[in-house]
Amino acid sequence: MKAIVLAGGKGEGLLPYTEKVQKEAITVLGKAIINYTIDGLKKAGIKEFEIIVNEKGNQIEEEVEKLDVSFETIVQKRQGIDGAVLDGMEKIDDDVFVLAFGDIIAPAEFYKSLMDTYIMTGRQAVIPLVPVSEGTETYGLVKIIDNKLKVVKESSTLALGGAYILPKPKDNFTSLLDYIDLLASEAKLNYFIWSENWVDIGYPEDLLFALETLLRRKESVISDKAEISKNAIIGKGVIVEDNAIIEDYAIIKGPAYIGKNAYVGSFSLVRDYSSIEEGAKIGAYCEIAHSLIEPFAEVGSKSYLTYSIVGKGAKIGASVITASYPAQSLSRPRFNKLGALISPEKVIKHGSIIEAGMKI
Amino acid sequence: MCGIIGVVSNKESNRLAELVVSCLNRLEYRGYDSVGVAALSSANLEVRKAKGTVEEVVRKKNIKELSGYAFLGHTRWATHGAPTDYNAHPHTDCSNNIAVIHNGTIRNFKELRDELQSLGHKFKSETDTEVIPHMMEEYMKRGMDTFQAFRSAVKSIQGSFAILAVVKGERRIFFAKRDNPLVIGLGDDKTFVASDIPSFLPYTRKVIVISDGELGYVTPNSVYIEDENDNPIDVTSRIKIIDWDASSASKEGYPHFMLKEIHESPIAVKDTISGLLSEIDKVSEIAEEIRESSRIIITAAGTSYHAGFYLSLLLSRKGYMSIPLIASEYHNFRAKKGDIVIAISQSGETLDVKMGIRKFKEEGAKIIALTNVIESDIARESDYKLYMRAGPEIGVAATKTFTSEIASLLFLYSLIEKESISYLESAHETVRNVITETEGFAKKIGEELANKNNAYYLGRGLGVPLAMEGALKIKEIAYIHAEAYPAGESKHGPIALVENGFPIVFINDGELVDELEKNLQEMKARGGKTYSISVNKRLNFADTEILVNTDEKLSSLAIAPIIQLIAYYASVKRGYDPDKPRNLAKTVTVE
Repeated sequence: MKAIVLAGGKGEGLLPYTEKVQKEAITVLGKAIINYTIDGLKKAGIKEFEIIVNEKGNQIEEEVEKLDVSFETIVQKRQGIDGAVLDGMEKIDDDVFVLAFGDIIAPAEFYKSLMDTYIMTGRQAVIPLVPVSEGTETYGLVKIIDNKLKVVKESSTLALGGAYILPKPKDNFTSLLDYIDLLASEAKLNYFIWSENWVDIGYPEDLLFALETLLRRKESVISDKAEISKNAIIGKGVIVEDNAIIEDYAIIKGPAYIGKNAYVGSFSLVRDYSSIEEGAKIGAYCEIAHSLIEPFAEVGSKSYLTYSIVGKGAKIGASVITASYPAQSLSRPRFNKLGALISPEKVIKHGSIIEAGMKI
Repeated sequence: MCGIIGVVSNKESNRLAELVVSCLNRLEYRGYDSVGVAALSSANLEVRKAKGTVEEVVRKKNIKELSGYAFLGHTRWATHGAPTDYNAHPHTDCSNNIAVIHNGTIRNFKELRDELQSLGHKFKSETDTEVIPHMMEEYMKRGMDTFQAFRSAVKSIQGSFAILAVVKGERRIFFAKRDNPLVIGLGDDKTFVASDIPSFLPYTRKVIVISDGELGYVTPNSVYIEDENDNPIDVTSRIKIIDWDASSASKEGYPHFMLKEIHESPIAVKDTISGLLSEIDKVSEIAEEIRESSRIIITAAGTSYHAGFYLSLLLSRKGYMSIPLIASEYHNFRAKKGDIVIAISQSGETLDVKMGIRKFKEEGAKIIALTNVIESDIARESDYKLYMRAGPEIGVAATKTFTSEIASLLFLYSLIEKESISYLESAHETVRNVITETEGFAKKIGEELANKNNAYYLGRGLGVPLAMEGALKIKEIAYIHAEAYPAGESKHGPIALVENGFPIVFINDGELVDELEKNLQEMKARGGKTYSISVNKRLNFADTEILVNTDEKLSSLAIAPIIQLIAYYASVKRGYDPDKPRNLAKTVTVE
């Protein structure tokens, strides 16, 4: 069975960040978002991938190449999700395929459950449903009527799980959701509820929630190739990758992730649910909490970042503060806080104070 | 729900019998009131079957001594037709040349049976399944070959099924599937067909999934499948190698049986109501007995007690002398002639309940049993039997059986009160809608409660037993200390414990809302974190509220899945396995 993986969207909820970087190429704990999907599907037995991309397809290729999988990218020709699926289906010869969204962070068991259900029930189509409570209008929701799924816009807290097994339709469809409804009405579809970790990355708060989800039950793993000062303090649930440098008196309180070749300066505090991705640099006397610092970003000394996302290669001056409350216009308000969304390669002046929820 | 397994081999031996027994052991979760095996050898077709567990039947019927090259095995969960030796599968035709096992329901079996009987076929069981071997026999008499006869029989059936059949003289197993699972396992020198993969997982990981409407046969080295239009299917492209464990397979994608079973509640309620409707004369007779009794004692334990307490409150409100009695406290009550005892037990084996009904029977009371297991101990010892039809429940903490108990008791109550039961026709849809509309919110509340060590569940009126069930559920599987009180009682003591952030879950069934709201404000004034689960009428001032709208008579069925989901998500968030709560057993058979 082949998988069509969708990675060609505009990432509107993360604009302007996604103008330069494709959403699915954003890294979280050293791994691009799309690679969570592909890795999970690979572990569930899928060997070939058709990845639908847009003009930023090279970013996706660069990330997926890090995995040992057979894939090809297809530049999307038709519009929207429906168009992307149709473009992908042209490369599918099998009767049945997996359709997966490349912006879901879920454990491999999620995809395994999908395959198990397909095999066990013998139904031609399988859809996982995920309980959601915040921003329900931002998800594709379903109701279950007479044991059959019906795609709806409201009055439900069960969202489509973003990875489906579907039979290839005889003729092209005009709407994926209508096709799902049709399969359900013909009793060809089976569903199950996935109650464990699952994050659909659509908005800045989703990235922060993904960080929390991924770091919550992580054991501490410290690479013996990392350079950690004897005077630094490493707390519980901290991952430190190869060649990371943690200077004197820095505190990595955890749960936190320090990526390959990342640098944390003296007296800095990296605390709960933060990630300093590969090659990122945090100067001295900084405090970072609930934040995602993308690869090769630099944060000047004495800065204070909370509930924030700093894009790849961005430069944050010294003494920069991101306010995170009162939270502004959260689409999926899991926390009542949101700091700044700083786009890749942006430069923030020394001493700037960035208001809560700013998107730069 | 039943478990079926078939295996066909190149070699004839009794080692195949041992293999089938091991497959049956792994299928036992799918049904466990009777067991049977058919062994086909070059000389003979022999069927051995009986009521009981796999272990009991295998021992009693010496199943391991059977020899053959093809075997069928079946574990049954009776829904129609009592669990008896003769109703156990496999079923055979008049000449004992054909053996069939079946999972599902044949809707038109009465018509088929009448027709076959008019043609002279003799039936030995009360099951719907038995029409299949007789139909095959009839078609073969008319000149069809065995496969044509099987195909024609399958096409005559309306309903749902997974069927396996063997015919004397043939080294193959016929199969057909519609709406019930069926998978083929390809071994080295043998082929399996079963209702699930775990049954044959130790012997092969190479599988072919059979789709709805397909039928065919397997031999030791080949598989033939055709679609519903009789077109052969290329099976080689369908072979899959699986690499997962048995437990995850049987959950059909759900992370835990408990969650799967909460989601099965609508079907459990639907099947329960239709089962009771099919025997409405009997239920009406029971209702009449209750109406005429001097006192109604409702005895049960744990979750079943809460369902019983709910009925007791309903009856008390109508002026009946109704006494809810925790089963293990049966010593404290003396029954007398004219009393009716309603004994509720999911398993029908709960020892406390059994001891109580024996005592009350001796003291002159009549006993009505409500269980989920047909002809279980408690049912057999009772004067009247009512059955839920929730299907087997694997999660230790009762979920779909609680909902089915409530549905059954509402049905009974309405007959006692001589009111229409039409509102129960949509009960399963209410349960389903509530789950769909609230699961995400229940998850959020459960995950918040997971961070607490104590909680109160408060309700008024009919909300009290549901509050008790909510507190029990979260204790059972999330190990959060929770107490339930009538909300009015809370200020007479429990409120002393309420401090900043102390969680209190209010069960608001839409009655007595103003009074409940005052209690909520009392709790908030002391810093309590308040949650409300409300039906139809909002409970103002709660920090977090789940509100559902439904027929007020179904409020208990609306609340039940929500409190179960809250407990489930609290347990998962705390990192526990909700299917196997510590120190608890599914069936309590000790005092």
